Amino acid sequence: MLRRNIRLRREYLYRKSLEGKERVLYEKKRKIKEALAEESPFLPSSETRRPHFARKSISKMKTLQLGFACNALFTLYCLNLVPKTHIDDEYANATERDPKILLTTSRNPSAPLIQFVKELKFVFPNAERINRGGQVISEIIESCRAHDYTDIILVHEHRGVPDGLIISHLPFGPTAYFGLLNVVTRHDIKDKKAIGTMPEAYPHLILNNFKTKLGERTANILKHLFPMPKPDTKRIITFANQSDYISFRHHIYEKHGGPKSIELKEIGPRFEMRLYQIKLGTMDQSEAQIEWVIRPYMNTSKKRKFIGD
Amino acid sequence: MAKPSETGMEALHHLKSTDPPALLAPSPTLSQTARTASQHLFSCLKPYAPKSPFDQLLTDGFDAEQIWQQIDLLSQPLLSTLRRQVKHLEKHPEESKIVLKKENEFLDGERKILEEKETKRFDDDVDDDDMDMDMDEFDDEEEEEEGGRRESEKGESEDESGEMVEGKGGEGIEDKFLKIKELEEYLEEDEAREYGLDRKKKKGELKLEEEEEEEEEEEDEEEEDDDDDELDDEYEDAEENARYEDFFGAKKKTVPKRKSSLSNGSDEDSGLNDDGAVEKKGGLSTHEKQLEKLQSEIEQMEKANLEPKTWTMRGEVTAASRPKNSALEVDLDFEHNVRPAPVITEEITASIEDMIKQRIIEGRFDDIQKVSSLPSTAPKEVKQLDENKSKKGLAEVYEEEYIQKTNPAAAPISFSDEQKKEASILFKKLCLKLDALSHFHFAPKPVIEDMSIQANVPALAMEEIAPTAVSDAAMLAPEEVFSGKGDIKEEAEVTQAERKRRRAKKKRKFKAEAVKRMTKKARDNTALLNHNEGNHLSVPNGGLFS
Repeated sequence: MLRRNIRLRREYLYRKSLEGKERVLYEKKRKIKEALAEESPFLPSSETRRPHFARKSISKMKTLQLGFACNALFTLYCLNLVPKTHIDDEYANATERDPKILLTTSRNPSAPLIQFVKELKFVFPNAERINRGGQVISEIIESCRAHDYTDIILVHEHRGVPDGLIISHLPFGPTAYFGLLNVVTRHDIKDKKAIGTMPEAYPHLILNNFKTKLGERTANILKHLFPMPKPDTKRIITFANQSDYISFRHHIYEKHGGPKSIELKEIGPRFEMRLYQIKLGTMDQSEAQIEWVIRPYMNTSKKRKFIGD
Repeated sequence: MAKPSETGMEALHHLKSTDPPALLAPSPTLSQTARTASQHLFSCLKPYAPKSPFDQLLTDGFDAEQIWQQIDLLSQPLLSTLRRQVKHLEKHPEESKIVLKKENEFLDGERKILEEKETKRFDDDVDDDDMDMDMDEFDDEEEEEEGGRRESEKGESEDESGEMVEGKGGEGIEDKFLKIKELEEYLEEDEAREYGLDRKKKKGELKLEEEEEEEEEEEDEEEEDDDDDELDDEYEDAEENARYEDFFGAKKKTVPKRKSSLSNGSDEDSGLNDDGAVEKKGGLSTHEKQLEKLQSEIEQMEKANLEPKTWTMRGEVTAASRPKNSALEVDLDFEHNVRPAPVITEEITASIEDMIKQRIIEGRFDDIQKVSSLPSTAPKEVKQLDENKSKKGLAEVYEEEYIQKTNPAAAPISFSDEQKKEASILFKKLCLKLDALSHFHFAPKPVIEDMSIQANVPALAMEEIAPTAVSDAAMLAPEEVFSGKGDIKEEAEVTQAERKRRRAKKKRKFKAEAVKRMTKKARDNTALLNHNEGNHLSVPNGGLFS
């Protein structure tokens, strides 16, 4: 276990170091591909190092009609490999396995918080809830790593109202800190019959308006909490971003009439999330690098939108 | 000048009937009527005041002061007698009726003129000998009258006549009056000193009691004097230098000051002062009111500056250093640099749901995609077990192994090598084709020399087992079939000579062959003859065929 961790860490560092060179190479290949696609007679002369076969073909090529042949040759060798940054690297192999989530709270949770965490357990498929008791965060994370959990979610509260959500990817993965606002839990709606039971099928996801790089990163973090669904499930979970406030909604839909008629029924809790920090380590690694942190006291922060439009 | 008493009454009536504004402007007729009226009154009262030195009021060539003096001399003893008589009447009311009848006529005209103030003053004089009170009241009345004059210029005639009676009434406060006179003189001197104007002759301008009215009267009277020029000049001076104080009595403020300086701080002066102040406040102009307001504001601000500041103006204020709940009352305004949290309204929920519906209809979800991962290791070479019987014998297998061990280069290629070879050949072909396609000039296929036998069979038969079409094309080309050489001619083409030549050639060939046959036969025959030896059959030397 220790040795595996050490090896993984070394691999990660090596890939991080390679990142620069690979990216340069990839950029070169991409430029040539584009030039060919545009069928321009002049190829960028800055590409001094070209693959051998390409050189031979290009040197003899004079007409535009032969361009497509070279293109075919190239795609064979470029293999469409996008070099990955070490930042998003954590989710490279995440799709191989279904996510396994651990849910817990801060210490001494109040009854409404416990109810909320129970609801969240049904929202995320393949999630487990444990009592916090008096455990230390680092212990929890270590045991999670040993048991092959992929994510930990911590929920914090203020006088019964849930106000914080921390999503930490394991192992070594990024940690996203959210603040919760306008929380409406299923328990608030007293009528049990009207609400019914929550379906536990793997849901479809809708992530709307995550446009910037940071938005893409957040979308990635949220996406990989859910497994791959069947194409015909009726359960939808929505993360809609509006001016840096992400709305979480949970619906079930039905198609009564033709294909255009959709009836949505809202189930599950609803809340607004506000991202305030992303760290490049797990929760217990306090010295981890901060990828992004909110700056509310900067004068221009009112005008800027960090996650989407 | 001296007119009978009837015209005097007329004059009085005339005076009473004049409009008050008319009295303001100096007119000689009015002054004349005033003089005659006063003369008349004087003469009326003369019988009751035996001690007076004048038989009648002398008005020709006398100025207002002199006329006043005369009236004064007459009226003062008269007042004392009147007082005595009234006291007597009080004690003995039965006599009053007798007296009333007599006096009715006399007092008729005068009583109308008498104002309430006069009677009041009389009573006061009667009841109270306090100089201060009298003075105050006197001054009050004067000031009130004058105030009244300032505000409205009605009742001028009344005032004027009242004033005249006042002069008479002044006999009751003789001492004060004299003092007033002194005061007036002093004031004149003082003002002349301060303002540089010769005002000794002019009493009325700066005095409490006698202002416009007096001026008017003086002017009226002075116009008829011999000193007209002088007075005119003065009058003109007064006109040119007409001041605020002439009309609104601003000097009252300064007057009490001077009075206080003049006297020994007696009550009278203080009373005057107060009166002056009171009189001042009542008559402030808007400008002065503004100035006062400003002054008070300035005072307030200065006071506020000296005190310690309010907690909102201080720097860092903790909860302990400000009053309780004070932060709630103050409108604290600061810029928020974060957008406020969104309030979830119906519209926002509806818009989110619309978006969701749209996505569902399109089927555009953001689920995770399973990325097919590249194999991290090359696929193992699966060794296929060939189940056919091995074509090579066991000895050959061992032989190959031995060769491999000793000389790996010469070893025959293995199955996988064959496949590789095949692959490389295929690839070369492909490369060739592609190169050919990409070249400008055509390069033909390289010829691979290959030996094989071709039978001259119909071509189709070679390709198809069941020929659907019969063709007469043969596999071999005619030149391949033809085995001869040289120039071939048909029979029709051959010439005579050629024919002869051919026949000759044929004959020669035949002969040669025949000889060969003969010799072969002879050989065989000799062999046979040798066997037989008796045959006289000898072969002729070609007897038959020569």
